[in-house]
Amino acid sequence: MTSPQLEVRELKKSYDEGRIEALRGVDLSIAAGEYVAITGASGSGKSTLLQLLGGLDTPTSGEVLFENAPLGTRINLDHYRAHQIGFIFQAFYLLPTLRAIENVQVPMMGVFKNSTRRADRAEALLCEMGMGHRLNQYPNELSAGERQRVAIARALANDPSILLADEPTGNLDSVNSAHVMEILTGIQKKRGMTLIIITHEDEIARCAPRHVRIRDGKIES
Amino acid sequence: MTSQLTFTGFAWKNLWRRRLRTLLTLCGIGMAIGAFVALVGFSRSFEHEWQRLYSSSGTDIAVVDKNFMNSSVDQSIQGRLRAVPVVEQAEPMIFNIMDITPEVNAIIFGWLDDSYEFNSLTFSSGGRFHNGKPELILGEMLAKNLDKKVGDTVELQGSTFTVAGIYAGGTALESGAVILPLDQVQQLTSLQGKVSGFHVRLKAAPLGESPEHYLKRAQAEIEAALPGLNAQGAADRASNNQFVTLAHAVAWGTSCIALLMGILGIANTMAMSVFERTREIGILRAIGWKAWRVMMLIQVEATVLGFVGGFIGIAVGWGALHLLSRLPQTASVVSSSLSWDHFVEALAISVLSGLIAGAYPAWRGAHLSPVEALRHD
Repeated sequence: MTSPQLEVRELKKSYDEGRIEALRGVDLSIAAGEYVAITGASGSGKSTLLQLLGGLDTPTSGEVLFENAPLGTRINLDHYRAHQIGFIFQAFYLLPTLRAIENVQVPMMGVFKNSTRRADRAEALLCEMGMGHRLNQYPNELSAGERQRVAIARALANDPSILLADEPTGNLDSVNSAHVMEILTGIQKKRGMTLIIITHEDEIARCAPRHVRIRDGKIES
Repeated sequence: MTSQLTFTGFAWKNLWRRRLRTLLTLCGIGMAIGAFVALVGFSRSFEHEWQRLYSSSGTDIAVVDKNFMNSSVDQSIQGRLRAVPVVEQAEPMIFNIMDITPEVNAIIFGWLDDSYEFNSLTFSSGGRFHNGKPELILGEMLAKNLDKKVGDTVELQGSTFTVAGIYAGGTALESGAVILPLDQVQQLTSLQGKVSGFHVRLKAAPLGESPEHYLKRAQAEIEAALPGLNAQGAADRASNNQFVTLAHAVAWGTSCIALLMGILGIANTMAMSVFERTREIGILRAIGWKAWRVMMLIQVEATVLGFVGGFIGIAVGWGALHLLSRLPQTASVVSSSLSWDHFVEALAISVLSGLIAGAYPAWRGAHLSPVEALRHD
């Protein structure tokens, strides 16, 4: 059996000096290239789990392992986020002062020194997302679906091994929602990436080969 | 063409996003640097004119009392001073500042009519005054400001003097000054037999002795011959007299206050900017930016403000110097020229101000928790 790419052991996270327990001891293993949907009610702890998996936060206890190495100790979180993780958010979180192509270049600024190379790569990624005709638009000039496609291109900028998507279709209509999911699953297959999606939409969760339910800070199934 | 994003370009876009605030901040730092350029430029110009005053007349040493402002030396020591072996010439002189009109005050020199210091002046009309007569000569700039020509009269402290000549001085100080016979100034100031000091020309340095060593030796010899008096090298006297020291102190003091205001302005802008962009900083951290890179972005923004503000300030300060050099009240001590040293210094101070002002906001921005920052509304 191959070792998991991501593994969490006895993961706990509490806030407000322990008064709020978001995660109450989660164990989970995810293999490289796996497509996992995590569902749960609001406040169940699914976003907290995603943040810990992505190295955005540190657990109160327990550990997150990436390729058997614990995050935050043997693996630097900044480096991990820059090189291994691509984040996609429900609210897109594009930088409003930058054009679409510039938004995609931002993550690469610490990785590729050559600005031409960054721009060329950003253009190629946007073209791959079907956004080749909207390179120079600002986020407020794009539709919600287009913004999410730019956000996906940005998440792929540094060629990460894991894509973490937090409610990626939460702000989209059904047509755009389907289109974005088609892109995400296509990328996952084409690149062999690990895709972890947080969603409350059963239809999306059903499409994933693996479905993890989380309830009151614990994994149900 | 594909739009390439550079680090500085990103910083500039962030600043340009809040144009009004950026422009107001630039005005703030610009005014601060402008005040620095004008005030310090003024004081340096003043010092420079003093140095030129001594060098153009060929004075090597000034012999004065310990206190420059109220220096009072007996004129009778002239003979003893001339007897010092290294002294070629020693001329008594009086220095004062008087109101010529309610708007115009000028530097007054009292000289003997055969002083070697006349050699640095070129008369454009008339000629030297004569000892014992109520005559004076005016620098061209002052004559123009007073609208006086040879033969006109000038009232000084209730006494009337005839303009004997108008000269082009080697320096702005001389050009804006009035020179009278020594005895006439002594009468005006009721200090008969007293002078401000002596200007000394030394004999040529002996072969093999360096000018610096010779000057020091001459100073020591004069001070030994005239105990209680101070023999200062001309350059040292130009830089360290109390007028120049006071001008420098006022200029730097006022500039520091203005710069502090400018720094606070940038710090406020950057702190506001970091607060407003908390979520964006969270996004940058989430997509892999290291804390130091976020810190650098904010520092670059603050530095750009300092850099651009510096250029604005230099333009404002240079404009102010230009204006001061044309005003009758200040024309005699200010030249409108701005040295490269002063330009670079002002720009460096401005950039440094930006760096200082951006330090705390940058540190705060870089140390935000990515999760907390992403949650920020």
